Amino acid sequence: MTTLQLPYDLLGGVLHWLAAVLVVCAVGLFVGMVVSLLTVGPRGPGLVVDVLQRGLHDMLHMSARRIGAIASLTMKESFRKKAFAVLVVFIILFLMAGFFLRNPERPDDLPAKPYIAFVLMTIRWLTLPVALLLACWGLPTDIKDRSLHTVVTKPVRRSEIMIGRFLGYGAVTTIFLLVMSLIGYVFINRSVPELSQPQLVSRVPVYGSLTYLDRNGEPGEGVNTGDIWTFRSYIEGLTKAAAIWKFDNLDVERLKQHDGLRLENRFEAFRTYKGVIGQPIMFRITLVNPTKKLRVTNGDLVKGVAEFSEERQRSAALEEDPAAESFGGLRTESTISIPRTITYIDVSGDRGGDQAKTVDLFDDLIDGNSLTVEVTCQDRDQYLGTAQSDLFIRLPDRGFASTYFKSIFTMWLMLMLICLLGTTASCFVKGPVATLLTFSLFMLGEHLRPQMDHLLKQFNENDRQVLGGGVLESVYRIVLQMNPSQELPDNPAMTIMQWIDRRVFDMLGIFRNVIPNFEYFNTAAYTANGFDVSWNTALLPAIATALAYLLPCVLLGYFSLQLRELEAK
Amino acid sequence: MSAEAVIQTRNLSKTYRDFWGRPKVRALNSLTLDVNRGEIFGLLGPNGSGKTTTLKLLLGLLFPTEGDVSVLGKPAHDVSKNERIGYLPEESYLYRFLNADETLDFYGKLFDMPSKVRRERRDKLIEMVGLQNARRRQLKEYSKGMTRRIGLAQALINDPELVLLDEPTSGLDPLGTRDMKDLILKLKEQGKTVVMSSHLLADVQDVCDRIAILYAGELKVVGNVADLLQSQDETQILSSQLSPEAVQEVEAVLARHGATVKRVSHPTSTLEDLFLRTVEESKARPGRRFGPGEGPAAKS
Repeated sequence: MTTLQLPYDLLGGVLHWLAAVLVVCAVGLFVGMVVSLLTVGPRGPGLVVDVLQRGLHDMLHMSARRIGAIASLTMKESFRKKAFAVLVVFIILFLMAGFFLRNPERPDDLPAKPYIAFVLMTIRWLTLPVALLLACWGLPTDIKDRSLHTVVTKPVRRSEIMIGRFLGYGAVTTIFLLVMSLIGYVFINRSVPELSQPQLVSRVPVYGSLTYLDRNGEPGEGVNTGDIWTFRSYIEGLTKAAAIWKFDNLDVERLKQHDGLRLENRFEAFRTYKGVIGQPIMFRITLVNPTKKLRVTNGDLVKGVAEFSEERQRSAALEEDPAAESFGGLRTESTISIPRTITYIDVSGDRGGDQAKTVDLFDDLIDGNSLTVEVTCQDRDQYLGTAQSDLFIRLPDRGFASTYFKSIFTMWLMLMLICLLGTTASCFVKGPVATLLTFSLFMLGEHLRPQMDHLLKQFNENDRQVLGGGVLESVYRIVLQMNPSQELPDNPAMTIMQWIDRRVFDMLGIFRNVIPNFEYFNTAAYTANGFDVSWNTALLPAIATALAYLLPCVLLGYFSLQLRELEAK
Repeated sequence: MSAEAVIQTRNLSKTYRDFWGRPKVRALNSLTLDVNRGEIFGLLGPNGSGKTTTLKLLLGLLFPTEGDVSVLGKPAHDVSKNERIGYLPEESYLYRFLNADETLDFYGKLFDMPSKVRRERRDKLIEMVGLQNARRRQLKEYSKGMTRRIGLAQALINDPELVLLDEPTSGLDPLGTRDMKDLILKLKEQGKTVVMSSHLLADVQDVCDRIAILYAGELKVVGNVADLLQSQDETQILSSQLSPEAVQEVEAVLARHGATVKRVSHPTSTLEDLFLRTVEESKARPGRRFGPGEGPAAKS
């Protein structure tokens, strides 16, 4: 789950994909020509053209029956070789999960989040190796056992083998995932304590764009209070500093059906002094229509910041009155209901003094399809921490099944991509290497992309240099115990070393554009935190990413199988 | 009139290379060969002579280092030629987790055959290879002979024009070998071209019209089996009920014509014939045991 809730730029993604595919094809063609020239001489380029023509012909003459036969064979192979044993492990884990998840002293005191996170994590880490091992080992085993000889000596195109295998592994993994997700769903619904059942929801947020006014009321940035993680910016209390959210493209007709609006916030307080014990830092919400020059606020729109974690709040409430309080009730602290008709005091003064007025939320405050919400901190010298996702419009909730199965769907896309990458890798390397390659791509795409992004951002923004240098320069500095700010000696060796480092960074840039972004497929945080897995920010990028690799992988797998001797000694 | 060649190789060579691309072994050296439509052609040679390599080059499983190969008028890498080819590998590399029905159905699908045609072909072939009672058993439970038979059935699923058999009788008992040879001859009767590689000379002699002998990757001999085996400077007379006196008279006549009699003896049967007769006899009269001087051996 990313911290910035930005809609996915599909057009930009498609253009990026086209550029990457074209570059890879051009490089592949060039390398093919050079290699063929070196290995078979002047008739080499002609052979390359011949192979490409055959490839095009094979792609256009694939048979659904043959692909289906290979997929069906793959499924039979998987099941008859006892791949379903993983389901047994899954069921054992679930039978034992209750012992570890439940607090024996207060069995009803556990939020839904750990249950959901446990289920989704277990499914993910059990299906992943299944997909990985099946996809990476099937074809190499087939080649090693020479069973493939009896297939390729039939009128079977290599692309059909590749696609059939992929579909077969995909189908097996899908069955596993389906069974596990259904068991998981029942487990969550039955295991989550009654007190926490209200958390099994799918909140549907609408996020806006965030801008700031500084303490003088001028457009600017929020304040950094010293936190190294700059996710939130802070606005100073009782100044003109404000955080302004603009919610565009609202479906006003749909909102009108609910006779009001719910805003949900996750603001954070930063105290420069202790303040009054037990009293939260306060903030004010003002609804603004810039076209009609309306600024609407009242006492109901002044709220306190929930300064403790949900668990601590909940725990505190339980201590006081275990029977009456519930987490669902406490959450209303962060949920602000705005009625359709709002009465406020007009302080503009241009009508001869303050007067109470009434406005209609949808008719007067929503400007076209946009709503502007301004938030200010109400405590002097205290700060209010805000980020783009800290305030959102909460549309009517959906059922928990909606977010749960959307999460499962993105997991399915991830597994399909693993199957695709594994099958492709197994077309040109043996099982262990294919497994290592695919798993490395997964780990890089899932966990190391932020580091790569950070390095490349530094490199590109800092005149193609990184503090402390690249690979070689870092080693040089470590060996000579030089700190990163020390100047390197000016000599040709250093120039060559830095030149190589820059090329390595260029390669890293290319590599980053080729490895899949597996972060898109991990939407468990949405579900565990009770949010809907949104189409624009989560589902669409996951679908686009999975589809983007389909054609290149099929082509790579096809040509790898086509150009290799299946009977190599 | 020259016969139509279904397989043509011209200066076909294959060199196996190591990981670094360095030549490791030259398995086939400049093979030029034609196989004509409707004949049974045998590729003979000791182990490592290049027989299997030749078959794999014909099938496109290996790429030639030099030379050209054409199968049914198409280059070896052309997938569409496989629609008219059946191939039985040296070992039956089938999917051991499938049963006979599933195996033939799977390979039938690879030929894009409709379900009804697949079912008909499957039933016919299972009956032909005598696996009716084992059609639902997984291949991993099959004996070597049964595996070869289902292997042959999958090679014939598409009713091919050209059948390539790599060591078809390898690992079979004499009965299985005889069945396989009968099947090969039946394929010829159906007008199919059969190319088989073997180092079992008796098998090749029994069924092949023409043979090629390979040694160390080179073609040494090619031609009609009968022509190659015929000894033009010797004559064999086979007679029944010839008395010793008559033998002496024949020898005298031959001596008068300047011929030298090298050997006069009673012809012997082959061990294969003896074995097959014994088994047939045992099937007809189960439980009976033969003593010395009794049974089919004594009768022959």
